[in-house]
Amino acid sequence: MVDSNISSGSPEETQNPNPDGNAPSESDLALDNLAQKVQESLSLENRHKFWETQPVGQFKDIGNSSLPEGSIEPPTPLSEVKQEPYNLPNLYEWVTCDVHDEQMCDEIYTLLANNYVEDDENMFRFNYSKEFLRWALQPPGYFKSWHIGVRVKSSKKMVAFITGVPARIRVRDEVVSMAEINFLCVHKKLRTKRLAPVMIKEVTRRVHLENIWQAAYTAGVVLPTPVATCQYWHRSLNPKKLIDVGFSRLGARMTMSRTIKLYKLPESTVTPGFRKMEIHDVPAVTRLIKNYLSHFIVAPDFDENDVEHWLLPRKNVVDSYLVESPETHEVTDFCSFYTLPSTILGNPNYSTLKAAYSFYNVSTTTPLLQLMNDALIVAKQKDYDVFNALDVMQNEIFLKELKFGPGDGKLHYYLYNYRVRHALKPSELGLVLL
Amino acid sequence: MGEWHDWQSLLQSILVGLIFSYLLAKLISIVVSFKDENLTITRNTNITTTTTKTVTGHDVIHDDVVSEGVHRFEDESVMAEQGSVRNESVDGGDEDYDDDWEGVESTELDEAFSAATAFVAAAAADRLSQKVSNDVQLQLYGLYKIATEGPCSTPQPSPLKMTARAKWQAWQKLGAMPPEDAMQKYIDVVSELYPTWLDGSSLRSKTGDGGGPSSEARGPMGPVFSSFVYEEECGNDSKMDAIHGFAREGDMANLLKCIENGVSVNLKDSEGRTPLHWAVDRGHLNVTELLIGRSADVNAKDNDGQTPLHYAVTCEREGIAEYLVKHNANIHSEDNDGSSSRDICSSNWPFMQQHVGEVN
Repeated sequence: MVDSNISSGSPEETQNPNPDGNAPSESDLALDNLAQKVQESLSLENRHKFWETQPVGQFKDIGNSSLPEGSIEPPTPLSEVKQEPYNLPNLYEWVTCDVHDEQMCDEIYTLLANNYVEDDENMFRFNYSKEFLRWALQPPGYFKSWHIGVRVKSSKKMVAFITGVPARIRVRDEVVSMAEINFLCVHKKLRTKRLAPVMIKEVTRRVHLENIWQAAYTAGVVLPTPVATCQYWHRSLNPKKLIDVGFSRLGARMTMSRTIKLYKLPESTVTPGFRKMEIHDVPAVTRLIKNYLSHFIVAPDFDENDVEHWLLPRKNVVDSYLVESPETHEVTDFCSFYTLPSTILGNPNYSTLKAAYSFYNVSTTTPLLQLMNDALIVAKQKDYDVFNALDVMQNEIFLKELKFGPGDGKLHYYLYNYRVRHALKPSELGLVLL
Repeated sequence: MGEWHDWQSLLQSILVGLIFSYLLAKLISIVVSFKDENLTITRNTNITTTTTKTVTGHDVIHDDVVSEGVHRFEDESVMAEQGSVRNESVDGGDEDYDDDWEGVESTELDEAFSAATAFVAAAAADRLSQKVSNDVQLQLYGLYKIATEGPCSTPQPSPLKMTARAKWQAWQKLGAMPPEDAMQKYIDVVSELYPTWLDGSSLRSKTGDGGGPSSEARGPMGPVFSSFVYEEECGNDSKMDAIHGFAREGDMANLLKCIENGVSVNLKDSEGRTPLHWAVDRGHLNVTELLIGRSADVNAKDNDGQTPLHYAVTCEREGIAEYLVKHNANIHSEDNDGSSSRDICSSNWPFMQQHVGEVN
């Protein structure tokens, strides 16, 4: 019974939530499965109808090696790009968001905090902080016009949001100007209004207006067609809280006492020369990162400005550490994580889950295992509850060894208007989207 | 018998005609009622084909039932029809997501209703579902029609069509009930039939996506919230008795029964843990008190040499730790690594600073 619920690898089923503990009766479970399948097949069909009209790799082309890699559609002349926004339903209007504006930022924050991504069982909801949103939305060369909100005309209430930020992403030998699309969110009360497709089209139009024709994005569901499919792994830092809030579970024969001991970490980091990254490290870190990311098939092409923006530590947003050799003062290794808390829904004792997400890590001298163990120690010191990582880049080297456990979340990576002949292995992917 | 057959085939042909026109009318009304979900079954000659294609097996069952002249309701029929309505609506597709916006916010009630109808559709399609009486099925049918189409305005079906007539009556007798009331009533009936329909896993989580066609909001792109996959520990060959399980779950009644039946309160599992270790580990102060009250060994050691107080300290269960110390737990008792519970206590609990014997 339980097995039937765990994703079996067929794309239609990857979204299955995991069964929870209170074993329902057989017929209840059958009912649930059935209802779920009905709903999934319906929604998949709808989604795909949209995506089939878009320049993305199509399922029917999988394995067709006669199709060239690269752009699917050539750029159209800018004069031919639709100049007016797409039509919204009558009661709504587009708004271009200025995240510098405190009030605007509050509105976006509130919309996301109440309506953005939840887990399958609605126990947690992402709670991106305002500082995080400002950071995520304003990288070098960002376009304000790509931060798109939808308001109710009468009340001016913000009810939907989508964003793009520019990025140079290398696919094999070609560096492509792309938009990273993120933060698509529609107010819970508007979920039957099918705003998402028009929002995706509107952000696409505005990206085109900047003469950019490709995009990268992720999704938890299978759409046409993933460039790579990655898995989340989790490392408990505060196992008692994770168990109490239902993020992880205690096996019947396992004691809390032993679990806590299992995940205990040293009080302080072990690598000599391990310290926080500072502004003067930007050139050295850029060299390190550039060289490291060149090993992956798809990865961002960072320059010093990008590194300064994305990797210089910001309180409660992004943390970066490096190893400076005590003898040569050369920067040899680097690790980073970003901070993404989640609201814990309906737990009497806790309201926030503080999660660190592995970002970019480079090891040349210090073993990656030791480097990441130090990252865990720092995260524990800073009172994070859990450290999450995807199996991208070389992360598999340390995941099991450092007591990460597999998560129920699969993350699919996609490119818009760019065909990659074969899906990549997670270890061939050097890209982390927020 | 032969006469019966003749009569049956005559009836059958009349009924097929009637049912067909009924379905056609229904389909048109669906087109109207689902328009605001932007589901377009285009009004053209394809309607006929769509109808025949999308009516699910259950409606076919239902038709057979009628044409066999069996004047009772097949269990699934009425509910399944609602299921087929949903299927049709979705099969209708959404080719033109640009047009046809209706800017009315969907309410929570809409969404709950939508989820409830999807649940009913799925339940009806599933033979394992509990049997629902005809009366309730008809009630749901009537409410569904009011909610989606409003008051009944179609002419009464011919008396030969028992099922159709009963359904028509169920709809008609609700008169001009407001659609919101009908939705709420529908949800109430479903909740009564299947009290757990919303707490289960899938449906509630999908409610946000609405019933099927609206899944874009959550689904299409963005990050994913992931938590641990639950893995049943394998390779863990530890053995424990029922009494340990009751202590772990905080099941006082069964724990007491065990003790009264002569099971030792200090019985050890394969890891050397007593029921007290388990109760402390899971944070059950009441079970801890019960076990201590039944003279459980407060300083029992597991195979690692750890006492219940070690557990309480490791798990930061202050109340329990204090209780144990007050009942003569030895804060200096060392485990196999040579650590006492006082050594491993990182919290500043006053009762852990004292010497044995100073308490009490």
